[in-house]
Amino acid sequence: MNFNVRVTVLLLSAVFGLSAAAQQPAPATPQTPAPATQAPAAPADAPPPAAQAPTADAPPPAADAPSGDTKTLDQEVQGLKKDVVDLNKDLFVLQEELLFPANTQVAVYVSMDVGAFFALDSVQVKIDNKEVKNYLYTAREAQALLKGGVQQIYLGNVKVGKHELVAFFTGKGPAERDYKRGATITFEKGVGAKYLELKITDRVPKHQPEFLIKDWE
Amino acid sequence: MRGLLLTGVILTGALCATGSAAPPSLLGKEAPDFALRAMDGHNVRLSEYRGEVVLVNFWARWEGDSRQQMQALDHINVTYQRAGLVVLGISVDEDQRRAREFATSMAVSYPILFDTGATIGKDYLLQKMPVTLLIDRSGVVRYSVVGYKRGDEQAYLEQIRALLRE
Repeated sequence: MNFNVRVTVLLLSAVFGLSAAAQQPAPATPQTPAPATQAPAAPADAPPPAAQAPTADAPPPAADAPSGDTKTLDQEVQGLKKDVVDLNKDLFVLQEELLFPANTQVAVYVSMDVGAFFALDSVQVKIDNKEVKNYLYTAREAQALLKGGVQQIYLGNVKVGKHELVAFFTGKGPAERDYKRGATITFEKGVGAKYLELKITDRVPKHQPEFLIKDWE
Repeated sequence: MRGLLLTGVILTGALCATGSAAPPSLLGKEAPDFALRAMDGHNVRLSEYRGEVVLVNFWARWEGDSRQQMQALDHINVTYQRAGLVVLGISVDEDQRRAREFATSMAVSYPILFDTGATIGKDYLLQKMPVTLLIDRSGVVRYSVVGYKRGDEQAYLEQIRALLRE
């Protein structure tokens, strides 16, 4: 990517350099007679010399042209990058709307609060007894959840009606012991999108983790 | 002179053949992401190494050349990890216990991951073993080779150096 951008910048600067070089000699010769003959013609002709003025002034900026050109190109590249990001975002939204229309959409999120009694290793999600996601967490991802991050673990489609979601959490519990727990929720899928949150919290009095599923209406 | 030319042509053909034997559909494409459990119990996700050059080696205990190749890769890892190279070994053995024993006996310095369900192998279109891939800093598969012969690591090194320079 970087290499491509560099090549594009080099090519563009080369093209710009050539066009600048090609333009420079041209105004030098015809411009001197031009004002002499055209000056009495009409004030309407005044703009062309004015318009050409920058080209006549071109040589001085040409001395520091590389930095100016580079700056402009850099701005253009930044603009293009922004356009790509915007386009990508629009495409993503469009794709989501097409693939997961609101009337069938179900999204499942994972969040973690405190996490002193549980080190998350993996989460398995089943909807209507069918495994839809099995996610392994790296140390970095678990850390991101502990810092308040919320992860969309699953996005899919279900029919309108009653459904059951079961989530299994595995990891290390208190005293570094292997720990596996499940949580279940029965939810009603209506016309709008359904959002469910798998919450891992600490139950401090019992020194145990707690696994909840919250239905966001 | 003709002999030399002929040898050159044969060598070029052989090199091309080695390259084409690899899964060609993945070359130039983004490497499929995966998360696998490593031998030390940690989970490893490929996309977390974006920005570094990654060498992925799929191996199997029953493949005769795996031992030699792992030794060569261990040497490469020790030399180049400070320069930004990450080496990941992925076992595709169904018998994880024996694969683990084999990997323990090798005592390599890079992480060994286990793809016991062969799910990642499918994503990477594996047909033969071992398979070695080089993934560039932007996550694109830039080099892949099937099989291993003693001395192949020289080819890996050339590619690794080029990718590290990018």
